[in-house]
Amino acid sequence: MGVPRTPLEPPTPEQAAFLERAMTQYGRATYNFAFRLTGNEADARDLTQDAFIRVYRAWRSFQPGTSFLSWIYRIVTNLYRDELRRRKGRFQEEIPEDNAPQEFGGERPLATNPIDDYVDRQIGEPLSKALADLSPDQRQVVILADIEEYSYQEIAEIMGCSIGTVRSRLHRARALLRRLVERAQQQQT
Amino acid sequence: MMHHLTSDQLVDFIHGEFSPEEDAFAHAHLASCASCRAEADAEVALREYLRSAAAADEREMPSAIKAAIWEQIRVARPGPFAALAALLRPAIAVPLAAVVLLGGYFASPLAHRGTPPTVAASYYFEAHAVQSARSPLAERATTPVYDASASANDQTSIATAFDGGYPATAAYGGGR
Repeated sequence: MGVPRTPLEPPTPEQAAFLERAMTQYGRATYNFAFRLTGNEADARDLTQDAFIRVYRAWRSFQPGTSFLSWIYRIVTNLYRDELRRRKGRFQEEIPEDNAPQEFGGERPLATNPIDDYVDRQIGEPLSKALADLSPDQRQVVILADIEEYSYQEIAEIMGCSIGTVRSRLHRARALLRRLVERAQQQQT
Repeated sequence: MMHHLTSDQLVDFIHGEFSPEEDAFAHAHLASCASCRAEADAEVALREYLRSAAAADEREMPSAIKAAIWEQIRVARPGPFAALAALLRPAIAVPLAAVVLLGGYFASPLAHRGTPPTVAASYYFEAHAVQSARSPLAERATTPVYDASASANDQTSIATAFDGGYPATAAYGGGR
């Protein structure tokens, strides 16, 4: 996904041990968070990989006694935001191809492989489908508040915004989700 | 309770974001208000739906991710700062510092405080004369090595330098 700014340094034994422990203990949670955020496996893989490389680089800045998961979620959040911004800029410069950009309401999924997209859509049902209709910020608040069960204060720290912003995003996201779920239930009956 | 709870308030309530007073008010209100209770139940149901869907869709991190991360680190090369830091290890830094200090000393005027040895021009003429006398048939005279420890005007030392320094030349000259 992102291009590393500076070349990686070979690891010290402590650094390698830190990374190994982080991946073993939090790899699954990080990957699932990334998957729910991006909605597809290809981007979740890239995002998780970039996040752990960032952990590797900045391992000394982690403060023992604080939540590692909150830390890596913050890293994933920032990487995802950077990536969306980068791709948005690139898409705006592109000439729209057929129906691709419009199909996703301006926010094109990050994966570009149609087979990956198809497989992911099959596996990701139904949660990804529900979350895909939210904006990235709304999606993230819902994931953190309802699935990961973080407090508003913790979400604000992870996302780097105010508690008021978290609250209003969650309210809007949930109102939208309720309408979507109700509509889906009506279609089923 | 007169006021109903809004959907936004109910969202905050079910997420445990109410103050103790607000929480007590909400509980009391929900006990007596059916419409707010129904609304609260709908919010809770949505949360339960999201949680159960996430739990059902929980997946392992692909092992390829871990492998790719280690591979990226394995090919890492030390950057300029790391290379500099490596030079600061005592095993390298101490001999390096010694070389730099010695080099600096010999390059500085401190190492050359005495008068440098000089060679008087007459020395060459005298040496030439000595050689010509010994082997008059030689086509050209060879300048012997100058011994810096000896005085330029000391005839004995010139002869010593000539004989000791160039035995082959002397033999060659003498053979002609």
